[in-house]
Amino acid sequence: MLNDSSQLDRAFQALSDPVRRGMLSRLSRGPASVSELAEPFSISLPAVLQHLKALEESGLARSEKKGRVRTVRLEPRTLSAAESWIAEQRTQWEARLDRFENYVQTLKRNGEEND
Amino acid sequence: MTDGNELRLERTLDAPCELVWKAWSRPEHIKRWWAPRPYETPECEIELRPGGKFHTRMTGPDGFDFSGTACVLEVEPGERIVWSTTMKGGYWPNEFPADGCNGFPFTAIHTFEDAGAGKTRYTATVLHANAKDRDAHAAMGFDDGWATCAEQMAEVAQSLAADA
Repeated sequence: MLNDSSQLDRAFQALSDPVRRGMLSRLSRGPASVSELAEPFSISLPAVLQHLKALEESGLARSEKKGRVRTVRLEPRTLSAAESWIAEQRTQWEARLDRFENYVQTLKRNGEEND
Repeated sequence: MTDGNELRLERTLDAPCELVWKAWSRPEHIKRWWAPRPYETPECEIELRPGGKFHTRMTGPDGFDFSGTACVLEVEPGERIVWSTTMKGGYWPNEFPADGCNGFPFTAIHTFEDAGAGKTRYTATVLHANAKDRDAHAAMGFDDGWATCAEQMAEVAQSLAADA
């Protein structure tokens, strides 16, 4: 079921970046223009478009241009219920490992390894 | 392929095994990273022996309050810890009522390996059961899928950025 799902791999790849996760988080509250998506991040427009491309290729989001405004929305049906469940477990563990890694670095900086 | 779902995550941490083990095996340290902010882990107990209990309680400003007790199955200090939510301390089985309020069964295998130059290779393998558990998970109110996980990931990204 999941083993041959290259779409799932692409989705995980897309989720591996904090800017893209932030963009998805914004989109989970509703459609947004490219400039609205870019707003929280201090990165260039080309970089934002690059991230958007990765999200679209992974099937997690899609965008549509009307006039001069490109509107981006979440594509919630990329994954089956089973896949999104397991993907959510993965993102939660990835997040926990992020926190763990971060905490280990704090411990190391504080020199508590000698206690 | 088995009946269940296996997740395998791997990180190379820039810290020696001994320190990494400490962060994973002592309650005062586990409390600091277990829950995603703004959630907290006010309670943590871990008995480092087969049959020992691994208890955590997470609380949040939105009234979230979740306690879980797992059973420690294997401990090799500095190298490996295995625990499972299928049981609690003393190998007593956990109940998983259909409302999902007691979480769902899974087994987590954590291994730590010296990667040289003061680094540690950390692997987390999480074994999940079948579709029934997904339903339990959905019953907990998490089934709006990507929205929930994207929110959570964003939360972590922000906390990492704030710490940087």
